[in-house]
Amino acid sequence: MTAERPILPYLMIAPSLCLALAIVVWPIVELSEIASHSVNRFGQLRDFVGLANFEALWNDPNFIASLWRTLVWTVCVVGGALLTAIPVSLVLNEDFHGRGLARVLVMLPWAVSLTMTAIVWRWALSGESGMLNSALMGMGIIGTNIQWLAEASTAFPMQIFIAVIVTVPFTVTILLGGLSAIPDDLYEAAALEGAGRWTMFRTITLPLLKPFLNIAMILNTIYVFNSFPIIWATTQGGPANSTDILVTYLYKMGFRLGKLGEASAVSLVMFAILLVFTLVYVRLSMRREA
Amino acid sequence: MRIASHWAQRTVRVALSGVALLALSAAAEAGTVRVTVAEYSAKTGPYFEKVAKDFETANPGTDIQIEVVPWDSLQQKLTTDISAGTNADLSIIGTRWLLDFVSQGIAEPLDGYMDQAFKDRFISTFLTPSVMDDKTYGLPIAASARAMYYNKDLFQKAGVANPPKTWAELEDAAKKISALGDGVYGFGLQGKEIETDVYYYYAMWSHGAEIVEDGKSGLSSAGAAEAAKLYKRLIDEKATQPGVTSYSREDTQNLFKQGKLGMVITAPFLSNQIRDEAPKLQYGVTGIPAGPKGDKGTYGVTDSIIMFQNSKNKDEAFKFLDFLFQTPQRVAFTVNEGFLPVEKEEAQDKHFTDSADLKVFTSLLPDARFAPVIPGWEEIADLTSNALQSIYLGKEEVEPALKAAAEKADAILKQ
Repeated sequence: MTAERPILPYLMIAPSLCLALAIVVWPIVELSEIASHSVNRFGQLRDFVGLANFEALWNDPNFIASLWRTLVWTVCVVGGALLTAIPVSLVLNEDFHGRGLARVLVMLPWAVSLTMTAIVWRWALSGESGMLNSALMGMGIIGTNIQWLAEASTAFPMQIFIAVIVTVPFTVTILLGGLSAIPDDLYEAAALEGAGRWTMFRTITLPLLKPFLNIAMILNTIYVFNSFPIIWATTQGGPANSTDILVTYLYKMGFRLGKLGEASAVSLVMFAILLVFTLVYVRLSMRREA
Repeated sequence: MRIASHWAQRTVRVALSGVALLALSAAAEAGTVRVTVAEYSAKTGPYFEKVAKDFETANPGTDIQIEVVPWDSLQQKLTTDISAGTNADLSIIGTRWLLDFVSQGIAEPLDGYMDQAFKDRFISTFLTPSVMDDKTYGLPIAASARAMYYNKDLFQKAGVANPPKTWAELEDAAKKISALGDGVYGFGLQGKEIETDVYYYYAMWSHGAEIVEDGKSGLSSAGAAEAAKLYKRLIDEKATQPGVTSYSREDTQNLFKQGKLGMVITAPFLSNQIRDEAPKLQYGVTGIPAGPKGDKGTYGVTDSIIMFQNSKNKDEAFKFLDFLFQTPQRVAFTVNEGFLPVEKEEAQDKHFTDSADLKVFTSLLPDARFAPVIPGWEEIADLTSNALQSIYLGKEEVEPALKAAAEKADAILKQ
């Protein structure tokens, strides 16, 4: 029986499978090896230390704080981007004069490098010569300059706000794709039955958009969780590590303090969190659709 | 799975090292010297390309390859190159990293190549940081010290006659300048990113404290607390710009260039920037203020160029170093970048002897201190900056914050 199993299909996917394994598995094996050894700052492995690097992380209050902050960061940015992107994409899906231009305007920020966006915001948020303070002063909303990046209580919400803005274009793109796949006759039929706009949105648009919302949610979560430029360019995780998320913590660990073992451990922890999240989310929300 | 992955890894490693070996042997035949260079400014790359070309003309058969790397990613690039065994023959590094390079056997001692005359070219203050266990592991390629820049117009407007000589005078002058209002502040205080700790050492040294004393952190000493209280008081009295924890070194320099700061402490290259970007600014350069007992200290920094132990072309590499450290090349580099001369003959050039700003910096050199050569220095600097940021923000009191930082630093020093 087994002898008759066709072998050709397996042979045909073998090259891409090998490539995929090499790309996915090799770095993880390499990382695990670094994370389980004591490593000098030039990446040369010394003694095997087992889980000591992970233990060191667990005992570092900055790691735990960064972990929590990463969760807040991801939930707020992904949630904020989705909540903004749904109405924006609904509007852009309507047929109106100048829709093409409006779509281009929404997508345009996507084409700018994230690091550049972050640096421009750093200038805009600058206390004495920043655009934001001048604008708010001009409108009479504030009386004295606000030092946005001096403290986590103003810096971190601002960083989340910037991240939401830069995540919206990509999310809108996905959702517009979903909206254009919904046939118009469904709405016509619903209109004949006397359904209002809100009912149509709730019973037709939202359910049919769900697979696209799921994709946007997963891709954004992975992307935002690992996103480095905004926080690094604005505060480098400071002051006193109070705006660090895991990826900036990792960078400081590895390249500023030269603790490559612990840095590798952080990246394995990040990988594990995202893997678990993705598996659970895919199981819960995508299987049911099929 | 385990075996398979190990096998795969080994194959890849063998393949990689094969490629590296091929590259190296090809290089060895052609007499190639690869040099990793830190990018100080837009002028750095062209300068080194020109020196390389001049050297090649004088020494036919030797090929110099220059790789210019931005400062921010230099450490990252060196780490990656060294771990893969594909590092260059020579590289510029921060002298404070040198200890790691020496203890891991990566830097080659240069004593075998140098004679006394060669060593005598250097101003010894700048050569000594690269000497460890009586061996010279690097040559100072760039050097700078810090002094205080002050805005003469603002001093006049606030009715302050002379630049302050002590921190008490500085406090007084800073308050008067801040009182002018209109977005003008007395003393620029840095509280963010690289060198946040250094900005604090100026005051700390003036109050008689050291970064490391008898193998222990000096942060818990009385002088260190006095210095932190002084800065905190300046912040509370609004004698500094508001929100100091959002100002990096560049940010305070920019504020000074815009004429909004009475005083700021920084390196000689600000003179070059003012000349190019704010030529109308009326400024002077003076020493770092002294403490109550007359102590003072400026921060000296050198970057070194090192030779790698695994270099295959050491003789030719040193020949290039010799060329690089001849007076015409040195003068061109130092003038371009706005650093201090590191060689005696170089220092006699009229570019340096005629510059009033540079004279001030040079006069401070006897008081210059360098970052201590200890393992874990970057980590200690980082936790010092964090403690200071908490103090500046008023999140922690001075003494407990410094004491906690000192304990952590002591633990690192013991390792």
